[in-house]
Amino acid sequence: MTALGFAWRSLVRQPARAALGVLGVAAVGALLLDMLMLSRGLIVSMQDLLDRGGWDVRVSAGDLPGSGLRVPHALETAEAISTLPSVQAVLVIRSASAQIDRASGLPLRTAFQGVATRSTDPEGARLRAPWTILRGRDADASDELVIDERIASEFMLEPGSTITLRASCVADLEALPATRLTVVGVAEFPFQTTNESTAGGTLDALKTACGGNVGHDADLILVRSKGDADGTAAAIRAQHPDVRAATNTEVVGRLQQTGFTYFRQISSVLTTVTVSFAVLLIAVLLTVSVNQRLGEVAALRALGFSRLRVVKDVLSESALIVGIGGLLSLPLGLLLAAGLDRILKGMPGIPVALHFFVFETGALAVHLALLVATAIIAALYPMRIVSTLPIAATLRDEVIG
Amino acid sequence: MKRGTVIRLIALIGWLLPATAGAQDTQLPTVLVSRQLAESERLTVGSVVRLATDASGTRSQEFRVGGIYEPTPDPSRLGQVPRAVRLHLPDLLDMTRPVGIPAGAEYISSVNVALVNPDDAHQFARDVDARLPGVVALPSGEAAGSAGPFRVLERFHLAIAIVTIVAATVFLLALTIMLVDERRETVGVLRLIGLPVRRILAQILLEGLMVAGVGAIFGLVLAVLSEQLINQFFQWRYDTALVFVRVTRDVALTCVTIAVPLGASATVVASWALLRRGGLRLARR
Repeated sequence: MTALGFAWRSLVRQPARAALGVLGVAAVGALLLDMLMLSRGLIVSMQDLLDRGGWDVRVSAGDLPGSGLRVPHALETAEAISTLPSVQAVLVIRSASAQIDRASGLPLRTAFQGVATRSTDPEGARLRAPWTILRGRDADASDELVIDERIASEFMLEPGSTITLRASCVADLEALPATRLTVVGVAEFPFQTTNESTAGGTLDALKTACGGNVGHDADLILVRSKGDADGTAAAIRAQHPDVRAATNTEVVGRLQQTGFTYFRQISSVLTTVTVSFAVLLIAVLLTVSVNQRLGEVAALRALGFSRLRVVKDVLSESALIVGIGGLLSLPLGLLLAAGLDRILKGMPGIPVALHFFVFETGALAVHLALLVATAIIAALYPMRIVSTLPIAATLRDEVIG
Repeated sequence: MKRGTVIRLIALIGWLLPATAGAQDTQLPTVLVSRQLAESERLTVGSVVRLATDASGTRSQEFRVGGIYEPTPDPSRLGQVPRAVRLHLPDLLDMTRPVGIPAGAEYISSVNVALVNPDDAHQFARDVDARLPGVVALPSGEAAGSAGPFRVLERFHLAIAIVTIVAATVFLLALTIMLVDERRETVGVLRLIGLPVRRILAQILLEGLMVAGVGAIFGLVLAVLSEQLINQFFQWRYDTALVFVRVTRDVALTCVTIAVPLGASATVVASWALLRRGGLRLARR
């Protein structure tokens, strides 16, 4: 019989303790998998969000897009950027706060994004705004807009409906003019947070909504390069030293150094604690189990089992507990990750499409490697016990005891 | 708003140049700079700096550093080194007032009001909302939006703690089953000499309580010792005075309340299956 088969029989002989050991490893393994998914989850998810739509360079006034600072003379800047040879298209995004009037009750506060494309490339001119149309079509005219699902369901709007909107482009406290706009589509906005609603349209539509009082600045300028994002960002920086141009990867890198570090740190700490916890507990379980079977191990040695063979038995037992527990930990970990993700997404200002826990094959590989290491390290001490066991003395003690 | 109120100049863009000291320095308006900014720019009290609201330095103005302050730890800005300058409000308004806007017509972001009776905060906010359309008044407790993320983090940590407790309970149960099994013969002999099951169970419970109690105390001592280390590490890592871990009396009580009954129950549950067997069967080798 192989060492694995022998270890399996040892486990089956004590089903309660084996099942509890496996369940314990499954729970710890699930937590471990989640922490590994958390360590890079935000980065992978944010990179995915930024890459949607194919805009690979972001031009802003602050260190990070969305810092609140605006790019001055945005349309002129966008036109200048669009003339760079490596640029395919440029999209200016100007955001304003707006209110949508209800028949009765308080108006709904929303963000209104106005966009304008600039391109000298025929391919680039066809590029659309960074939102995804779910129903209807994108807004093209100055009296059209697209809305998100929340506005659509709250006001029971569908493409073709009209809404009365009061937008404020300069200051929140100005008197807001009412404008009637036609809803032509329902869209998903990539950076929309759970507690806000968003509408979008052309920059001309935003001008209409703001009564022409929109100013010359923009929140963000998105650029699509012809393939060399790094070179394009450098060219924009050289052309406009007063603005910050960064590729999506650079933006993620900056976020990694600031907002995302907490989750990486907590993930590292909890991964260390979880692995140590698993090693300690499996080592204790195996040690107690081996100590209870010292007589049995000595008898096997006396019958001709080699030292290596009994060591292999203990290692196989550890591998079986950790292996089965590890397998169970995968679905358990994914379920737990979904629950924890829901909790963390309750934070204000987190985009709906952003995830804290993202499954990656890299995370799975590290998970497996850590479990293998756990199985080996946890078995070291019990393996030493059985390998150094004095056969005659143990058998005598067993008989006398 | 009182003159002399200082507020944080958030919109100040990277234009902070030490200027040459001169005789008229003492006449310059003063600013406070954050410790982090002072360290990175090597500023000291008395240094003269030039501030502007844009990177090109238009309408820049000279100020004298009147003091260096430790920024109030802000959980929502964790990871961002607070390079900040605090100006007297009139100086800030002079710098940021758009051309053509007369003095006194500027916007300010918020006004803090100290009430004679803090319990009147809700009524005062309602009165302000009713009398000043376009202004939103909130009691401080409700205005502290930055607390939101940390309430979520608290829930996240609680969920992690629950999973850890479940895993620990399962392991504990497995371990106690093995330990109880080791004492099968002793329990069998006790049963044979006439000790009732309840008496043995009470003894096991007492033993479990003692072991769990000692374990809980050991855990608390470990937590208190590591508290300082964790805080020092994260405060160094994020350059902040925020306290990340605090073992309060409530936290300690919660831990003991969970750990001791859990440990004792695991011992009793593991023993129960054994005690249901006959004494002779237990004592038999």
